[in-house]
Amino acid sequence: MGMSATTEPTELLSPSLLAKLERLELVSRKVFKGRMKGERRSKRKGESVEFADFRNYVPGDDLRLIDWNLYARLDQLFLKLFQEEQDLHIYALIDCSESMNFSDPSKLHVAKQLAAAIGYIGLCRADRVSVQALGSQGRSAPVLRGRGGLWQLLQYVDSIESGDNLSLHDGIKDFSLRNSGTGVVVLISDLMDKDGFDSALRMLIGRRMDVYVMHVLSPEEIDPPLQGDRRLIDSEDGDETEITINAFVLKKYQKTLESFIGSIKSFCSRRSISYLPVRTDQGVEDVMTRYLRERGVVR
Amino acid sequence: MSWISMLTPVQWALFSLIPAGIILLYFLKLRREPVQIPSTFLWARTVEDLHVNSLFQRIRKNLLLFLQLLAILLAAFALLSPGFRGERSNFGRTIYLLDTSASMMADDVDDAENRFEAARKQIRERIDTMSSSDTAMLITFSDRSEVMQSYTGDRAKLRDALNRVQLTNRTTDIYGALKAADGLANPRRSSTMGDTADIQVADAMNADLVIYSDGGFPDVSEFNVGNLAPTYIRIGSDDVENVGIVAFTADRNIETPDEVKAYGTVVNYGKLAQSFTLSLYVNGQWRDSTGVQLDPGEESGISFPLTGQEDAASIEIRLENEDDLPYQDALPLDNVAYAGLRPMRTVSVLLITEGNRPMEVGMSTANAKKMSIVDVQPTSYLDSEEYAARASSGLDDLIVYDRCQPKDMPATNTFFIGALPSNEWEWTSDPGQVLLIDSDRTHPLMRYLELYSLLIFEGRSVKGPEGTQELLASDSGAVLSLAPREGFQDLVLAFEIISTDDEGNLLTNTNWFSERSWPVFLLNVLRHLAGAADESAAGTFRPGETVRLRVASELPEVDIARGSGTPETVMTGSNGIIQFVDTDAPGVYQVTSGEGDEQELVEMFCINLFSSLESNVTPRQNFDLGYEAIQAEGTTERRMEYWRWLLLIVLLVLAGEWWLYNHRIA
Repeated sequence: MGMSATTEPTELLSPSLLAKLERLELVSRKVFKGRMKGERRSKRKGESVEFADFRNYVPGDDLRLIDWNLYARLDQLFLKLFQEEQDLHIYALIDCSESMNFSDPSKLHVAKQLAAAIGYIGLCRADRVSVQALGSQGRSAPVLRGRGGLWQLLQYVDSIESGDNLSLHDGIKDFSLRNSGTGVVVLISDLMDKDGFDSALRMLIGRRMDVYVMHVLSPEEIDPPLQGDRRLIDSEDGDETEITINAFVLKKYQKTLESFIGSIKSFCSRRSISYLPVRTDQGVEDVMTRYLRERGVVR
Repeated sequence: MSWISMLTPVQWALFSLIPAGIILLYFLKLRREPVQIPSTFLWARTVEDLHVNSLFQRIRKNLLLFLQLLAILLAAFALLSPGFRGERSNFGRTIYLLDTSASMMADDVDDAENRFEAARKQIRERIDTMSSSDTAMLITFSDRSEVMQSYTGDRAKLRDALNRVQLTNRTTDIYGALKAADGLANPRRSSTMGDTADIQVADAMNADLVIYSDGGFPDVSEFNVGNLAPTYIRIGSDDVENVGIVAFTADRNIETPDEVKAYGTVVNYGKLAQSFTLSLYVNGQWRDSTGVQLDPGEESGISFPLTGQEDAASIEIRLENEDDLPYQDALPLDNVAYAGLRPMRTVSVLLITEGNRPMEVGMSTANAKKMSIVDVQPTSYLDSEEYAARASSGLDDLIVYDRCQPKDMPATNTFFIGALPSNEWEWTSDPGQVLLIDSDRTHPLMRYLELYSLLIFEGRSVKGPEGTQELLASDSGAVLSLAPREGFQDLVLAFEIISTDDEGNLLTNTNWFSERSWPVFLLNVLRHLAGAADESAAGTFRPGETVRLRVASELPEVDIARGSGTPETVMTGSNGIIQFVDTDAPGVYQVTSGEGDEQELVEMFCINLFSSLESNVTPRQNFDLGYEAIQAEGTTERRMEYWRWLLLIVLLVLAGEWWLYNHRIA
């Protein structure tokens, strides 16, 4: 009756889901530079040059921006305005600790699916997408842009394996040190960290990231199918808890779970973090196309 | 509050291992099934939450242990069977007197098969409540008493003894049982009272005397209860109906032996009028019935005439209801009564004569041969040792002395012809012709005799000792007289039948032997003086009585069987006396000799209850024991047992423990 660890590779994203995802856009509640057209110029030029508009020259404008071709044709000075939009950095962080490798489909698999889906949305919107596993595996994560990166993205996500029993705090710290930019961070984790999740999230907030927390829980965690005298062994640290599971204890567990989720929720709401509880049996398609839309995460 | 341990010390030792095992199990802890889960994070927090108050948790943890130990403790208390003792011997010694007589068969008790079983149950309950320091004794009594178990504290022995007790068909005599109970409580003095040097041989041991009976026995006046504290536990109810046959016999008509009259007495001992049918069975075949109606306390005599009953027969009357089924009342034992009709006896006659042809011929008629064996011996035989032995042992039923006289009178009936038995007799006239003038025709010996045409050439009259009966009178006095002698009878005929003259020639002295009355007279003598027609009714005895019978001494052994039952072979004692003790079952017992076709019915006897004390099954309220009137106490108060309640509490504790175990963490 124990929980089974599963590693079977299933297709991360189905073609139909991909089609649906193409139409979605990740909503960032924070205005990052460049996202608003022509309102602010980017300091960094030539990297992401995209034509936006023309306007009349006014004295003082940078002569380098005058469209000389137009001047030749129309004999008027126009300034060529480029969409110097700072593309959105979307980070999807997958907690790949051993505890994620449970249930069927495993939490890790669901997390991978979610990360891939979010990544694909970002790719479709020409955002800078980086799907990373927390821990050492995150170092090899590619930074992608454009739909063409999907294959690479999926290849990387598929390669992520559980076993990096890093604490959430250390994982986020590692990530923060490697990625200095701001942007949208979607943390996909079960948040079952004995050291607590708050320091990790605080670190992201401190980096002025727009943080989304997808809290992945399996049905077995929400409603444990356990009874009787058990010695529970932690899959990550081998910690043992002797317990006699009965209706009373199960009720107590439910309360603990509720208070745990409640504490995350209140922590998140106080810090403008979007908290998104996800059940593994919910289905990625449903989560992405309905649930997240309802929650205003995508549009 | 008293305690009676149900376990032996060894069992207690084993029992004490249980709590030790429980505690040990707590030390060993429960074996838990290991399960790998993603994270013990939430579980640890859950458990942590439950362990917030660790002291309380510890107590709760131990609470289960405490509850389990409590359950075991309560079970131990239950095994000690605590209770408030209803009855307790004041002296630590109890004598149980259990009535096993026939009246204890009455089924007027609610929770047992009959009174006896009810009494046995009560005694068993008393034995169960005995403490280890108590001793008890079990005595049963019917017409005799038996100490089933002498003083012991071993309850198992007492129970065994109690289980061995059997209900009997016998009458009741409590005296023997009282004497047996009395022994230890009232020790006899070594010599006479008032003797200053007299010492008591043993210390008196006071004891409770508990009598379980229905009081169906006579008061005991010659008994001093002394150190005994008697209690009468009255078994049975007042509303009990019983009809009993208290007497029954069947007898032949002396004049017409094939006519039999059976008569008996039936009494209604109940409180309601009863009507029933009395049916008569001869050798198991129905012969007659009569309806009887009896008011409470009324008794009725009934008689059945039977004709053509020449042979021996066993006769039985039964109480039946209107459907010819056995009548139902509290005591079925007295609803049947038995009587036996004896066969005609073959008598042994010794004829001592110097020659008496008429006598020999008269005793060898067909009828006489049927009932007698005649041995003729000369007068010289009187001097032989064989005669002396025969005479003194009374082997013969009749000895006829023809014109001779023995030195000592034999131990049997005698018939003297022309001679006097002893000095108590005397001739009252000189020899001469005698003329008969009267005869006592009512006497069995003189029946059917027509004697007035007799010629007697020479005769005399005789006078016997006191009590002599004159059977035949002549002009000169009695010529035939019958006199009693120490339980025997001597018949004296004062004239000779055959005389011997001086030359030794035999002469006839009378013409009697040519008369028709001569063989008839001899038959009368054989029947009534030799006893061939004595007591046609077989003797009746009570169940359990020793039956003593006299049969022909030449029979070495006889078989005794009840009805068609298996015969029991009994050796014949000296003088043809047999003793038979296996008489518990009522019925007709036949004594036979020989085997197969030669089997011959020798004697019969019947066993019947015939006791108004037993048939009157209404239990007595009180009876006298010496100077004390013992009042009935109904039943002994039963011990209030609490072990059932304790077991219930054990169950509740276990249920609570289970609840706690299931609703809280272990």
